[in-house]
Amino acid sequence: MVELEFVRTYAAPRQLVWDAWTDPDQIAQWWGPRGISTPRESITIDLRPGGRMSFDMVDDATGARYPNSGTVVEVDPPAKLVWSDDGFGDGSGRGTATVTFTEVDAATTMLRVHIVADFADEVRAGAEQGWGSQLGKLADFLAA
Amino acid sequence: MAAAGTSDALSLTFGALADPTRRTILARLSEGDAGVSELAALFPAISLQAVSKHLQVLERAGLVARGRIARQRPAHLRAEPIAEASAWLAYYRHFYEESLDRLGEHLARLQGAGPAGSEPGGS
Repeated sequence: MVELEFVRTYAAPRQLVWDAWTDPDQIAQWWGPRGISTPRESITIDLRPGGRMSFDMVDDATGARYPNSGTVVEVDPPAKLVWSDDGFGDGSGRGTATVTFTEVDAATTMLRVHIVADFADEVRAGAEQGWGSQLGKLADFLAA
Repeated sequence: MAAAGTSDALSLTFGALADPTRRTILARLSEGDAGVSELAALFPAISLQAVSKHLQVLERAGLVARGRIARQRPAHLRAEPIAEASAWLAYYRHFYEESLDRLGEHLARLQGAGPAGSEPGGS
């Protein structure tokens, strides 16, 4: 398991940031690193607890398509969204993302993305066997 | 994206690194090989057996290699799995940093074009 956190402050009202994050028409315009597209027609989100979400990410250079899917865990518009990611199909990359939208003022929003990536069942199994695994901020460790 | 088969090794790496004792052991080994008793001396509150178990976890994750000499078996650090885990982190970082940059640009575009449909301060 590994935790990562990203915090950004945007000069935009909270509702606008929430909409950008949850509206498929808008998601298609920004989701993914540069060089990766998320085609609008591939995006579906059932925005309620237990609702499914799916989208494809397409490598612009090669055309390779990477399907993604997940489940909405918690929705509290326009303040908080939690979902679990099914990962990359080979079992890797599973995790939970928590996004909180905090109103700094009427025109400013602080966005916090907290990712807990679950790299595998064997880690949990190991902990159960008494290996004594515990959640660590690996990012901090590696950065140190 | 990951090639199939890398996730298991990665999970072991992360599991191994999640423990502060094991990180301390790795830090010590980054300075040079050491035997179990030498490593155990770093942790007065932990038994030799427990330290040995931590070493097994690190060994299993491929982070530490053990010499074959019976009794002594000095441990030394293997850097490769850390590089692999680090690559995963780099991937996640890259993904979100760039996505969040793009989100910022998207929000700026939206507002530059006039905040049609959105109420400033409406939340």
